[in-house]
Amino acid sequence: MSRNGHLPVQIADLCFRYRTRKELALHGITFQADRGELVLVAGASGCGKTTLMRCINGLIPRSYTGGQLAGTIRLFEEDPTPLPLTQISQMVGTVLQDPEKQIVGSYVLNEVAFGLENLGLPHQQIYERVEWVLDYLGISHLWDRQTFSLSGGEKQKVAIAGVLAMQPDIILLDEPLASLDPASSQEALALIRRLADEGKTVLLIEHRVEDILRAKPDRALFLSGGEQRYFGDMEGFLDIADYREVKLPAPMVLSQARETQEEVPPPPPSAPTNGRPALVEFDHVSFCYEPEQPVLHDVSLTIRQGDIIALLGPNGAGKTTLIKQAIGLLKPRDGTVRVEGQDTRRVSTAQVARTLGYVFQSPTHMLFAPTVQEELAFGPRNMHFEETIVQANVGQAIDILNLRGLEEYPPLALSFGQQKRTTIAAVLAMQSKILAMDEPTAGQDYRNYTNFMNSILALRTQREDLFAAILFITHDLDLAVGYANRVILMSEGQIAADGPPEEVLADRALLERCRIVPTSLLDLNLKLLPKTGRFHRAEALASLVDQ
Amino acid sequence: MLITWKYKERDTIIQKLDPRARVIFLICVMLAIMQFWDLRFIAFFLLLGVVQFVLAKLTWQETRRFWLVIGIITTVLSLATALTGRGEAGVYADTHFLWKPAPFHLLGLTLRPRLSAERVMYLFSQITRIVSFALLAVVFPYTIHPARYGITFRRLGLPDKLAFAVDLAFRFIPSLGRDFTVTMDAQKARGYELERVGGGLIGQIRNMAPLLIPITIGSVVGGEEVVDAMDLRAFGTGPRTWLTKLKYEPRDYMLIGFSLVLLIGALMLNLLDIGELWVPMWLQELAAGG
Repeated sequence: MSRNGHLPVQIADLCFRYRTRKELALHGITFQADRGELVLVAGASGCGKTTLMRCINGLIPRSYTGGQLAGTIRLFEEDPTPLPLTQISQMVGTVLQDPEKQIVGSYVLNEVAFGLENLGLPHQQIYERVEWVLDYLGISHLWDRQTFSLSGGEKQKVAIAGVLAMQPDIILLDEPLASLDPASSQEALALIRRLADEGKTVLLIEHRVEDILRAKPDRALFLSGGEQRYFGDMEGFLDIADYREVKLPAPMVLSQARETQEEVPPPPPSAPTNGRPALVEFDHVSFCYEPEQPVLHDVSLTIRQGDIIALLGPNGAGKTTLIKQAIGLLKPRDGTVRVEGQDTRRVSTAQVARTLGYVFQSPTHMLFAPTVQEELAFGPRNMHFEETIVQANVGQAIDILNLRGLEEYPPLALSFGQQKRTTIAAVLAMQSKILAMDEPTAGQDYRNYTNFMNSILALRTQREDLFAAILFITHDLDLAVGYANRVILMSEGQIAADGPPEEVLADRALLERCRIVPTSLLDLNLKLLPKTGRFHRAEALASLVDQ
Repeated sequence: MLITWKYKERDTIIQKLDPRARVIFLICVMLAIMQFWDLRFIAFFLLLGVVQFVLAKLTWQETRRFWLVIGIITTVLSLATALTGRGEAGVYADTHFLWKPAPFHLLGLTLRPRLSAERVMYLFSQITRIVSFALLAVVFPYTIHPARYGITFRRLGLPDKLAFAVDLAFRFIPSLGRDFTVTMDAQKARGYELERVGGGLIGQIRNMAPLLIPITIGSVVGGEEVVDAMDLRAFGTGPRTWLTKLKYEPRDYMLIGFSLVLLIGALMLNLLDIGELWVPMWLQELAAGG
């Protein structure tokens, strides 16, 4: 659909309120995007980014009925309000945050062809377009694969292919990097830039601004609490962006932190020596779900008291499987896993949970209780804690995870970020010796995740028996740089490296092999290492550099 | 995200057949089975199921879970029939008792676990029917290419939307299984034990909430997300092109012909009152003797 000469996106004074909410989700949004322009839509979680996307792609008001929509939306200077969703979907292609929620076809070919089939195009034309788009994205080899068997990065590309095949002029991408490992993110960003360079109008919703800068956005729209704080060029945006709301490059965080002189909690203690008691031991562990497809191969490692471990590695490296072995949800095919000396084959998961509390990646698989308070009390009650202790633990977890005021809310009605914090709090309240978290920073803005990470570490220094070891699986390298005292790198079911972050993350070739892309915080830390002696968060570096 | 059944290419005659012919075969055979209570007739269809299972080269290993579920269903149904006699009304008139204890009460129900020769044969027939149905149906998800679910039902005459709904429904079952496993794991990690005793019936149901609520809400929310994703790609607005094409071969016509003959034959026998519950003479004599 060619609409030369017309401005693709024009939004003026846009306001929206959801049917079930009292407050406005969007308020007074005014901006436009031109052909060939990549516009970054940034803001902390809950700032209204996704609502804005729904207004543009027509899901509001068509799927989210009963809300109040005011202001103007113009697509190619046309009012989309009377248009059916099918017509809008040919103008605006939407790539949802989670490709798993976007993919409806069982095979890559069917998925990419889905929109074209719906438009009723002839067979030949569908095949030509699918062939073109798969080739364009460099994924022709995937055409006959089942969609659920793809890796995270591949799923993302297939989801994008399904949208591009319909040849929309405007493309909306909602946090497209959220489920990707760093190397896959890089590839996705290069592709996004290319789309804009070839004439598409791209609106990219993301709070990881540092990563997005690699795609060289032309302009930025900055939202905060549903209101527009800025719209204009990137220089202006970077001048006003707050590092506590969006993720900025480390040098910028450094200079902002210097100005605000924010108090920084001490860094985590360095990795303990080997003399400390072992909590979990992996002894030559191998495991596979399907014969001849090993997921873990001859893994040996010991988690000791005092460890704060960042478990890094590409999608499908076996990180989650490793934790599931530790908690006894999976049993090794070969070798043994011992938790406090006990073979996991001989104890139930519920028994292991006293030693190792594990926060699953997806909150929707955990939450069930009528209130947040009840949800948090579930684990401690299962462990037969006294009710006074249950309540004390729950209260503490609510404070640490910033859930005050939400105690009586049903967890299932909370936002994704709040749900994620509820699941962490639910496991925290069990006060297990080891706290294991799968992607704890997903859906969290910087302020939220630094707050709870700091509080957990502070709690640990007060009581030695509590969270004697912490382990987190993450794609967020800065979380590892700022909080871990030990980094385990996994690749293809094996331990590729295990040691202090200052050693492991200094090896560029190793990082590349494990699809990890260095961040500005890592680079800055490595540069300052002779002076600082260890890694620090950016705010801490600010004060150290000044000394 | 919806996942598919564990489909793989097996190079069998079953997989070479057009899925439409196989659906017609399944429907005809199932309707035919429903015309009979005579164990000897039902056994013929059981044999047909076995032949299809073997020709499809399915193994016990890959269908184990399915048979576990069927095992539970048949056990519960058989016990209910043996204890209450429900479901057998109208199937037979005479009763020759083998065993007749006094009725007793349980959970407000009056149970009459009387065992007659007829009830024993009815039980066997019922189990054989269920196993035959299961045997005929289990082959489907493992041997029909997942990309063909939708087009099969579209070409059988269902409208676009309904045909795609069948496609989604097919994939919903294994996806539900996956969600169940993940939820169970997540709750176990919080010290949850399903087999915890106490609390009576209500307590037991309440004890299931940590499993059932996330799965149910997950399905509802997941369903809405699928609808949004489909809407955003213009689903359901006009006639749809289906990329996959199907073509009948002579062997498909033969299968359809055979299916129709079976169904018509069964209907005619039923009209002639042939194939009603069969109680072997020796069993009747045993009952009379007892």
